[in-house]
Amino acid sequence: MFRRFFHHIKEGFYGFCRHIGMALSSASAVMITLILIGLFIVLTFNLYAMTSSIEDSITLSALIKDGTTIQSEDLKRQIEAIEGVERAEFHTKDEEFDYYLETYNDPDLRAFYETYREDNPFKDAFIVYAQSGEDIPHIKDSLSKMSAIDEVYDGGDNTYTLVEVLDNVRIVGGLLVGALCILAIYLIYNTIKITIASRSDEIWIMRNVGAKNGYIRAPFLVEGIIIGFIGALIPMLLLILGYIYLYETYNGLLFGAFSLLHPYPFIFYVALSLLGIGVIVGFFGSYISVFKYLRLRR
Amino acid sequence: MIKIENVSKVYKNGTRALDKINLEVEDEEFVYIVGSTGSGKSTLIKILDGEEVPSSGKAIVNGTDVGSLRFSKVPIYRRNVGVVFQDYRLLPRKTVFENVAYALEVVDTPKKVLRQRVREVLKLVDIADKSNAFPDELSGGQKQRVAIARAIANKPKILIADEPTGNLDPRKSDEIISLFEKINTEEHTTILIVTHDVEIVRHHPKRVIMIESGNVAADLPKGAKV
Repeated sequence: MFRRFFHHIKEGFYGFCRHIGMALSSASAVMITLILIGLFIVLTFNLYAMTSSIEDSITLSALIKDGTTIQSEDLKRQIEAIEGVERAEFHTKDEEFDYYLETYNDPDLRAFYETYREDNPFKDAFIVYAQSGEDIPHIKDSLSKMSAIDEVYDGGDNTYTLVEVLDNVRIVGGLLVGALCILAIYLIYNTIKITIASRSDEIWIMRNVGAKNGYIRAPFLVEGIIIGFIGALIPMLLLILGYIYLYETYNGLLFGAFSLLHPYPFIFYVALSLLGIGVIVGFFGSYISVFKYLRLRR
Repeated sequence: MIKIENVSKVYKNGTRALDKINLEVEDEEFVYIVGSTGSGKSTLIKILDGEEVPSSGKAIVNGTDVGSLRFSKVPIYRRNVGVVFQDYRLLPRKTVFENVAYALEVVDTPKKVLRQRVREVLKLVDIADKSNAFPDELSGGQKQRVAIARAIANKPKILIADEPTGNLDPRKSDEIISLFEKINTEEHTTILIVTHDVEIVRHHPKRVIMIESGNVAADLPKGAKV
């Protein structure tokens, strides 16, 4: 069993070396594809983190009508019963006023606004947290219909638009990763096809003397895996070094607003994923190629 | 034993290569299959080798119905049917020993058994002194001996040779046929030789099956005038 295993590994390397020019050109093409895949993975995960953080920060302020008779605890229960509401926090008008003052760093300005406390224009309010950004519109709608609620404020349309754009970029990124994987499979498929053609005599002899299809297939699969593996090494290195450099140069904050995911362990997981994708793509590319060849001939 | 019953083969392009052919070959028999180009000989070999399946009829080889043989079972089936071709098909980067050993390696023969069997067959085909030579260093007759050694290494019950003397001069051809006779006797292998060479058939008289236009035109017993 081990003898056979090492035989296949040896034959796979032998096949790779015998067509080293072709194999390396295929590995280079896979390398470029994997660099793009890596970039899209990094982008997709960072966007995911960004959208999640933006979505988490989206809250609704439901202002309570003055003179409402309903108890705040009952209202809280009603609000939390709305589908998509994670929780609701009750803030008195004084607390709201305090939050407002906290937004000013200048002590003089704070002292100035403090004089308005007697005529506090704020109202008692519920800060409503949604389970996800998608729930905001219908929660807002439900809150507006409640008799005890005067007005409802949310983060505004711009926030939704941003979340939507980031979501779409994320989806497009995912689709591109898929498409690039298929491209890489195709590249390896063609390389193995040429390898098979150049070794058709050997395959014929193997078939002729009764070698099982698995035995014939194995060295080609090893060769495909080697191409995928080699094709993944440089993208892994580039991605790790590039991302760490980017993170450290911009102190983890891109364009001063978007925080990047910390490189440890994130980028190492991405690099390992690239290696995995390279190996899987190599395996499938050669599998399809050799399977088609063997299937056409009994 | 080979039993061909009403076997027809029609290719996708509509060519009818075999037309309700019937024949039987007993175990350990030595048979020549002769016929002109396009008569259906190659198709018959492909069916016996499991490469093609009959369009209709039954081809039973060593108790196996080739037509209903599953794709995954073809390799196992082939271990009992050795095939030798006119163009030898040796691996140029392997020595004579390695070329023959290759046939045993791919079917997972233990190393010790493999070495012993390779020496045995190289001796049988009378090429043991060239075991370290590469195919390029051999003559046509020697290459054919290596190809025969490889075909019989797995001890197949049937050995099919398609024009094995096509590239050889009369003397070498004669030697190769004598070698097949030796294998037939010593290894108890059924031998089917497809040939155009009437001289060989006359010098080594055996049963002759003549195929013309996909049919058995004649089935002559050993010694009959060809």
